[in-house]
Order: sequence, then C-alpha cells, then structure tokens
Amino acid sequence: MTGAESSRPDRRRGDIIVVSRLLLLALALLGSLLTTRARAQSERTPDAALEQILTEARARLPAACGRPGIDRLTRILCDKKIRIGARSYYPLFSTFEGETRQGYEIDIAGLIANRLGIDVEFVRVNAANRIAVLGEDNADMTIATMGHNSQRDGQARFIRPHYYLSETSIIGPKETPIHDWRDLAGRTICVTIGNGSNAQIVARGARVMLFDEAGALAERLRDQTCTLAAQDDSFFAYYFTDAAFAGRFSRQLGFAQVPWGMAVARTGSERLARVLDLISQIFHRDGVFLELARTNHIGTPFLEQQQLLWRQPQCNTERGNRDPACVLPALDTALEPTPFAANVDRLEDWIEARTGLSLSLPMLKTAPAWTLFVDGIVNSLILVAGALVATLGFALLIGAALGSHKAALHWPARLVTITMQSSPVVLTLVIAAAFAQALVPYSSTVALVAAIVALGLTNGCNAGQAISEALLTFDTEPQMNGTGDSHLFARAVGRSATQIVAFLVNATKGTPIASFIGAPELLNSLTDITSFSSGRATTYTLLLIFYVLLVMLVVGLCERLRVLLERRLASA
Amino acid sequence: MSGLADTITGDFLVRLLTGMLVNLEIAGISLAAGLVLGLPLALARLGGGVAGAGAASLIALLRAAPTFVVMFFLLNAVPRDAAILGLDLSLSGIMVAALSLVPYSAAFVADSGLDAMRQLRRRSPLGALLFLPNVSRAFFVLVMSSSAAAAVGVSEAISVILRETERLPRFADRLVLFATGIVCFGLVLQTGFAAMRLLHRRLARSAASGRHRR
Repeated sequence: MTGAESSRPDRRRGDIIVVSRLLLLALALLGSLLTTRARAQSERTPDAALEQILTEARARLPAACGRPGIDRLTRILCDKKIRIGARSYYPLFSTFEGETRQGYEIDIAGLIANRLGIDVEFVRVNAANRIAVLGEDNADMTIATMGHNSQRDGQARFIRPHYYLSETSIIGPKETPIHDWRDLAGRTICVTIGNGSNAQIVARGARVMLFDEAGALAERLRDQTCTLAAQDDSFFAYYFTDAAFAGRFSRQLGFAQVPWGMAVARTGSERLARVLDLISQIFHRDGVFLELARTNHIGTPFLEQQQLLWRQPQCNTERGNRDPACVLPALDTALEPTPFAANVDRLEDWIEARTGLSLSLPMLKTAPAWTLFVDGIVNSLILVAGALVATLGFALLIGAALGSHKAALHWPARLVTITMQSSPVVLTLVIAAAFAQALVPYSSTVALVAAIVALGLTNGCNAGQAISEALLTFDTEPQMNGTGDSHLFARAVGRSATQIVAFLVNATKGTPIASFIGAPELLNSLTDITSFSSGRATTYTLLLIFYVLLVMLVVGLCERLRVLLERRLASA
Repeated sequence: MSGLADTITGDFLVRLLTGMLVNLEIAGISLAAGLVLGLPLALARLGGGVAGAGAASLIALLRAAPTFVVMFFLLNAVPRDAAILGLDLSLSGIMVAALSLVPYSAAFVADSGLDAMRQLRRRSPLGALLFLPNVSRAFFVLVMSSSAAAAVGVSEAISVILRETERLPRFADRLVLFATGIVCFGLVLQTGFAAMRLLHRRLARSAASGRHRR
C-alpha cells in the first residue's frame, strides 16, 4: 500500500466530519432564529399588556369598589378620577394662573387621565411635599419636576421610562469666557441650597453663593449680583423665552443629567405603577411626550432620542420598561456615610430628647462632608499661623523700611503702606489672588498662600507703621543718642508691642475672609457642606464658636508675646 | 483695551459711586447700632462690680467675633421668615452686612466711651470730646470693612469692581479697575482721617488753652 492510497479514505472521513459540523451549525442557527421569533411573537406589545390590565380591573367594578383595602388602580377607576400632584409655579412645566393650569406636565397628566377614561383632580404640591403627599394618600400620583435619584427610590415608586431629562446648566453673561470646568475654578456660582449638583460644583474648585429660592437666581443675574448661576436647565428654559434675558445670558456649561419621573406611593400602587409604566412607554414610542414638549417650548433632544429607542423591537414589548438596556437608571446621589454616622444620629437624638434642641451635624455624617470639615479646620489653622507669621514679618520689614533714612527704602514702603491702608481687605485679597492666578495655575493651595500674603501685608503695613512711629519718638529722647540702629529698632518693636499685638489679632480675625478667594478654610468648607446637606443653623453656629475661641486663643498668646516684648524693652 | 475703555466710558463710575454710598450706609447703620449697644456697656464697665465684669466679658466676646463669620452666621442661622409679634425680622443683605460689623463697632464704642467717661470724671470735658473723632475714625474703618458685604451679594463698591473685572480678559485692564477702587476708597479714608486729625488737633489746642486760662 502506497502512501497515496492510505491517505484517500482519511481525507474522505475528514470531509464528512466538516460537512456534518456545518449541518449542525446551520441547524443550531435555524433553531435559534425560530426560538427568537417565537419569543417575539409571544412577547406582547405594551398596548396589549395595558389593555389587559385595564380590562381586568374594570371587569371587577363596581363590586370591588366597596371592598376594604382596594388598590389605587381600582379606587381611581371606581372614583372615575385620579388625584395628581403638580407644582403651582414652574413655568413651561406646570403653572396655575386663575383657573387655568398649563405646561408640559399638566398636559401629560391630562392625557394619562384621558387614556384611563377618568377625570383628573390636581393637587398643589411643592418641592418639599411632592413625595409626602403620596405617603399621606393625598395624591395618587405626582408629576412635579422631580428628578429620579437613588435616595428618592426608597421613598416613592418611580414610573419608568422617565418623561423628561434635565441637567444642571451654568448660566452667565454671553461675553463671560467659560469653556470648561477649569475656567470655573475659584469663581463664585450662585446656587440654591440643597441642589444635588452643588457637591460637583464644589468638588471642581468653584465657590458657591447660596440662595433659598431658585427664582432669586435669575433676578440676581439680572441685577449683576451673580455673574454665574447654576440650576436645572428646565428652570432657565422659561427665562430664555424672554428676549432680553436670552440676549444677555447664555448656557456656559451643562452637567449632572438627571431623569425626571412621575411617582406613586410605594404601597398599594403596584398595578397603577404598572399601568403608568406602560402608558409612558407608549407615549415615548408614539411621540406623544415629544409633541407635548414641542407645544410647551421645552427642550426635546432627550425625547427625540427616547422615541427612537422605544420604537426598537427590543424595547417595544411589555417587558421593555424593565429592561436595563431600555430604561435609564436612577441618578446615584447617595453619599457614603462616615463610620460613626450612626453615633452622630444617636447624639442628635439624645440632645433633642434632653434639651429640646434640634441639632443637625451634617459635617459628621457623610464621608465627603467629613473630609471637607477636617480639611477646613486644618487649613484654617495653617491660615491663622501663616497670617500671624506674615503679619509679623511684614511689620518688621515695613517698620525697618519706613524708619530708614534712605529714600529708596522709605518712600516705596510708604507707598505700599498707604495703598494697603486704602484698599479694603476684600479687594486686597482679590488682587493677591489675581496676581497668583497670573503666575501659576489656580488651586486651593495657591489661594491659601495668596490669602496669607494679603492678610500679612494689610496688617503688617499698619503694624510696621506703628514701629516706625515708635522709632521717631527716640529722636526726642536725648538718652537714646548714640544707640545702635539695631538696638533702637528692637526697642521700637518693644514700644509698639500693643499695636503689633492688635494687628496680629486683626489678622487672625480676618482669616475667614480668605474664603472669598476660594481658600479652603473652615467657613468655605462648611458653606460647601451646607450646599448639599441640611443643618445650616447648627453648622454656622458651630463655626462662629470655633472662630471666637480661636481668636481668643490667639489673643491670649499675643498677650504673652506683648508682655515678653515689653519685658525685654524694660531690661534693655 | 476696548473692554476697559468701554467700562470706563460706560456707567461704571456712576455704579461705583452708588456702590460706595451703600458702603457708607452699611457703616452708618453698624455705627448707630454700635453706639446703642456700646455706650451702655461702657457705663456698666465704669460702674464696676458684677455688671462691670459682665460687660467686660461681653466686650471681649464682641472683640473676638470675626466680622465675616458673623455675617455668614446671620445669613444662615436666622430664618428667612423670622418674625416676632407679626413684625418681619427677615434681614436684607445690607442689614446682614451692617449687623455683622456691630460686634466690632460696639466693642470700639464701649472702649472709647469708657475712656471718655473717665475723662469726664476727671473733669476734662474736652478730653471726653475726643470720643467724637475716635468714633468718626471707627466709621471710616467700618466703611472699609463693609466691603465684606460683596461676599453675600450686596451691590456695594467692591462688588461693582469685581463684576466689571470678571468681564475683562486682560490682566492689566483688571489691575486698572482694582487701582480705581483703591483710589476711591483711599480718598474717602484719607480725607476722613485728615478731617479727624484736624478735629483732634483743634480739640487738643482748645484743651491746652483752657488749661492756660485756668
């Protein structure tokens, strides 16, 4: 047997194996296709699922109406009306003027009631009670400009898909050169207290100026109190319909996108929530939300994208609103708690039980707030120490220069002193920060150093002037003739000890102003913390106590310094 | 340079001067409140005893309170809708800034007032009259300190300058506006201090001539 004869049957066997493998593969593919098709056929459309739930619910009427503990879907069908919580003044979304309600959310509420074949009864809600009305059974559902975040997930059942998506917009004058976050470092942005996006603004190195109401932001932009303001783009959408506002301001930056959701109570609303899920899904697919948005002149890019998504076969099923590939997740806003957060809660309860005082210590409860708080204390101490050293240093330098007989030293020192005395400390700080920013990239450390220099110069010039005036008094004392310059200077420092101490204390008291240029001291840290948490009154009271104690400590230390200087003077 | 030229030729100077009026207003309110609070404290200290010790402690506390922190405390710890017996106690930005300066002005008035009262006890009314230039000096210090109100959105002079500088892209242009602010505040301060020095000198001269006549 030759080699060629022996290889032929082997080749044939190999061909048979390949062909059989190909056949198996083809069969598997065919099976898979048939299974997918069968599943798609068995998967109902949202319309069919909605119709089935409503038909079943209506079939139980009116017998079910008298039964105790009926769920909300049955009840609203029995009552032939749904109570919907809506905001009374959120322009373009929900406004109530006279007897007329209008806006995107009002229109959605009306179409939902229409789809259910019942009437709608609006319940007035605000940002504070829009979830509480559900728990208290004062509303069956709310549609009230409510962002869906992980914290709220535990308080209400959110309807998905979401009916809108907003983002935080930073608005400013058109000529303000803001291109990205780097341009915002060190700048002040007006925000509303408790806005979830404040933490991000603070983390990017911008300062925040707090306001209670969003309505104040547009007014403060107009009267130029605020150069920049941050708020939901949905809020500013109304103001941009005003030609004068739109002519002056523009959106500078957008971030922190958050989906908006209707919500129902977490208990007793399972079937109602399911119905609303399906209606929302249908409204997206059929472009109902999109059309309402256009009618009410609000932003549509999200709704356009959602319409395309919900038209896809994968999402256009009854399970689509539970498919992570189709629905958006809630915005994760949960802040990591500190290891001792539970103890802090217990301490707050203990104090309230014994004294009736309702304390809130947000700086101790979440990890980001705790870090800011500790850093703030450390930076405040560094700032105070730095300002004291700088004040003393500049006092000696300026004192020596002012007391010098050399014009090249005396007159520049005099010019600097007059300038510093004529410049309000806030302006001096801003100028120092501007110089620092021109020299190096701005950071919190740079702000801290700039503040130390500014506070040192401001107070050091005054203290230096006191030293130079003390030097002058020696001219009228004959016994001082012939005394060496360095010895005279030391005696002048001793003689002006009271003034030096006064300006050292003044420098310490001035350190919180450093927060104005973004130095990360305690006032700045606590303002940042309260911008995204509660407990403002407690926080600022503790801050006041901290600084009063700190200043008193410095006063005590400075008094010792004064006594030391005066003793040296006496012994010299 | 057109940015700076536009600013200067625009209504900047008018707004700056209007802002300075706000600074004067803040200083005036805080000085008035300081007089109301500080003079009784000075009287209490002069009387001595427990009331005197209490007054001294309170003055020390007032002296230690940083203006900026007091301002943020008032802004955040006092409820926006505060009211007593139906009287609206909600504070405007200007009032917050003015009240934050009261600890300083009250402590200063108490110290100067105490000196003046001691002079009166020594039968030196002219010495006691030095209280006036001292308090006037405090007023100008308050004018300078009132610029802290810029941090809470009050449209005083420094706010006006800062708003304008934020619009200017060139560093040199910003420096010009900063210098304008220093000149404006410097003029007010130096004029005020010069007037006080003059008054001080006249009072001293009157005191000296009075002694000669006696």
